[in-house]
Amino acid sequence: MEEMRASKQYGGALPFLLGFLVVAVAGWVLFPDILFVDKEQPFRFSHVAHVEGQGMLCEDCHYFREDGSFAGFPTNEECAMCHDIGDPQELVDALAEVTGSPDNIEDVLKQEEGPEALDYLILSAEPEDIQAERAFIVKYLAQGKEVPWYNYQFQPDNVFFSHKAHADLTMAQVAALEGGHGEAEAAEADAEDGTNCNLCHLEDIHLRSDTPPFQENVMTGYSKMTMKMWQCERCHAQMHQSNACYVCHK
Amino acid sequence: MGLNRRAFIQFSVGGTLGLLVTPVIWKTLDDVSIWTQNWGWIPTLKKGVEERVPAVSKLCPSGCALRVETVGGEPYSTTGDEDNPLSKGGLCPICADAVPLLYSPTRVQGPMVRTGEGQYQPVSWDEAKKLLAEKLGAAGSSVAVISGDDTGSGNEVFSALLAELGSDDYYMMPSPQMAATRAWNGLMGGEGQIGYDIAGSDFVLFAGADALSSWGPTVSNMNAFAESHPAGEKAKSTYVYAGPARNHTSSVCDSWVPVHPEGMSAFLLGLAYNLITEGRYLESGDFAALRSLLASKYSPAQVEKLTGVSKKSLAELAGKLLRASAPVVVADYGCSPAVAAAGIIVNLLLGRMNTWGGMVALPEVEPVLGSALDRPTRFAKDLPADVASGAFAPKVCLIYDANPVYGLPQYGEKIAEKAEFTVAFSTFKDETAAVADLVLPAAHPFERYDDLVNPFGVANTTYVASSPVVKPSLDVMGAPQFALDLAAEMGLDLGFENFEEVLEAKAEAAEAAVGTVGSYSVGLGLPALSDADKTSGQLALYAYSQLHIGSASMATTPHNPTTIRDTELQGKQMFVRINSETAKANGLKAGSKVRLSANGVECQALVHVDEGVMPGVVAAPLGFGHTAWDEFSMGKGGNVYKLLTVSAGSGGSAWTGSAVTIAKM
Repeated sequence: MEEMRASKQYGGALPFLLGFLVVAVAGWVLFPDILFVDKEQPFRFSHVAHVEGQGMLCEDCHYFREDGSFAGFPTNEECAMCHDIGDPQELVDALAEVTGSPDNIEDVLKQEEGPEALDYLILSAEPEDIQAERAFIVKYLAQGKEVPWYNYQFQPDNVFFSHKAHADLTMAQVAALEGGHGEAEAAEADAEDGTNCNLCHLEDIHLRSDTPPFQENVMTGYSKMTMKMWQCERCHAQMHQSNACYVCHK
Repeated sequence: MGLNRRAFIQFSVGGTLGLLVTPVIWKTLDDVSIWTQNWGWIPTLKKGVEERVPAVSKLCPSGCALRVETVGGEPYSTTGDEDNPLSKGGLCPICADAVPLLYSPTRVQGPMVRTGEGQYQPVSWDEAKKLLAEKLGAAGSSVAVISGDDTGSGNEVFSALLAELGSDDYYMMPSPQMAATRAWNGLMGGEGQIGYDIAGSDFVLFAGADALSSWGPTVSNMNAFAESHPAGEKAKSTYVYAGPARNHTSSVCDSWVPVHPEGMSAFLLGLAYNLITEGRYLESGDFAALRSLLASKYSPAQVEKLTGVSKKSLAELAGKLLRASAPVVVADYGCSPAVAAAGIIVNLLLGRMNTWGGMVALPEVEPVLGSALDRPTRFAKDLPADVASGAFAPKVCLIYDANPVYGLPQYGEKIAEKAEFTVAFSTFKDETAAVADLVLPAAHPFERYDDLVNPFGVANTTYVASSPVVKPSLDVMGAPQFALDLAAEMGLDLGFENFEEVLEAKAEAAEAAVGTVGSYSVGLGLPALSDADKTSGQLALYAYSQLHIGSASMATTPHNPTTIRDTELQGKQMFVRINSETAKANGLKAGSKVRLSANGVECQALVHVDEGVMPGVVAAPLGFGHTAWDEFSMGKGGNVYKLLTVSAGSGGSAWTGSAVTIAKM
């Protein structure tokens, strides 16, 4: 009798192990999928079409202004230096003739081509690029709306991040820091030109034709890629830079 | 092994420990803390290119040339414009708040038509235009315009519209420019627009003009003072303020000469007396008559009685003016043409006409709309006098860039009563908009085309135009543009369809109007001066303006309540200043609650005993006592504009003789 009880008690470790494993696996595997939802960018943007196709440089769109601030996403006005649609109202009128009303001109995107006034403006050659360009022109340029891109790395308003202050930092410098810096080491291996964009941004975005979904934290609204404060502080400490509050929180 | 209680507990314990080795708890706690920082109602920053866009703000009486700081095209602040000679990087207290006013909840959101007492119904601009066109069509020539735009070409558009409708009832709100224009261009027959080269002068006498705080091109005046009085160094010129009480100007001037409110003309004529005694004369047909007038009514002894300025002080001041190499007298008080004329006479006697550091007469910038009134003619009509006499009774009254219901001395509240149909082009929900039959929201200065044509007091031809800095966020439009559209709707040809084109034409006209005009051979306005020895014999009211409190058309701006001292406003009670002698004579002491009465109107106030006020004078601030605007202005203090007593003079209405009774409550 005593032996049987002991045996049952020993066998009772199984539920414990089972509970441990089930929850641990769920926490590591399922939880991230629940916490983050994918949000598609307003339309597909191909860096390849612009960088390789048109020979554009990163700095043509993502440049430092005279005051040192970083331009980030290009504005419609800057895009229109190539994607010039002339008088937007004329295009809206032409699209409205097809759709029947200026209120639903985006219905033309249901078709792969036409009307002529829109086709005439398309600069792309590849089918996917053409559809993306049609969306850009109809949804944004024609209607005078800036593209509401999701920023994969956006920081909250209370963080003042200066691209200029970090511009001269190379991957090699970061990778060599005492205490290690896994992201930089990994990024350095792929960085051929020595720029450090990969440290924070989508890896080798200039070689991509697609715009991967923005992974939004359902609780905070932040991007999965948004760098956390401890990451900023770690690098600052490793680089012997100040971690005083006012350095980032203005 | 079945699922018994023991197994369940073991599973749960295992699960709990398993949870601890996952990021679930720690990540959730972290994200919850971040979530609490991002409530939906927290405004987010606009990102984009930072710019400093040159613009004009006409929220203050003189208008400021400034720069609007924007991010991504969104204005967030204003700064002075270092490149503009008018401001040289300075700003007035009102225009410093121009951006908060852009987003102010007191702005009129869209056109509204009155449907009952205090009730309005939104209408479209097209509906408003058709309604007004009908009203104007029915009114014939019984139309008037009241303008508070002292400097802009918008006046020409409204003036031309009025002319096309067959009316010449164009009224300007009272201003220092009105007094000077009536004196120089009216009484004296002079040519051009009076200005003062304060920056070039080595001896500046401000006679009643609070020029370093609220009078004329304030920022430009302050720049001139700052350059002449460098910190830690000897002053390069002398500034003297003459007036009934110490104010912001007197507080920095080298000396203050107390002058009774009713004696400002006499004070200036006393100076003229001394100058003539010292051998100065004028090549004017009126000079002999002036001498006789001075001898009979304005001898130093008589002036001492009228002004409180001793014979000795008067002579010393005249001597300083004579000894200075470039003296100038800037005279203005109570919108009095007599004071303005007397000041001009002193400048003429000093030989300071069109000289470096003296008084100048700028050539008129010609109207660009054919049927528009020229500048001097616009200032000729007398609104207070016409309201008092009943001559002001238009079927339709268009009120442009003005708030007469609040800021017209004595008769403000009668404006809407006298006009059958009142149209207010108001940017903000002011007192005039609150009673108008049709409210047409004027675009904020940063949302419209506008210009400054020779702001009154400048020494050189000055023209500043500005285009919109930002698209209107409300259903508003520039008043002059609406007037042009209205004219087109009515089939009237004003010569322009677009206000931007008016400004382009005006810029060309200004370019052709440089240099100086005018001469010493002018009349001296003696009929206006002969009455300057009249006094009421009562307690005199000195009403003073301070831009941080507001103006005749603006209430206190968003950041300025904190600049109002506890000796100016306490709760809802404003302070009036009297000196200890006056307090004693009226049985008052510091903090006494009093009732000020004049013209059948009363204001309540607390007493602030201040020896910086002349005996027999009550110094009361203008700018309080609003019945509209926002919670920070409404019901705070009393409206002293109502207490000002308008008296008709030969040059036009003035309120130099305002008197009050003061009674303890």
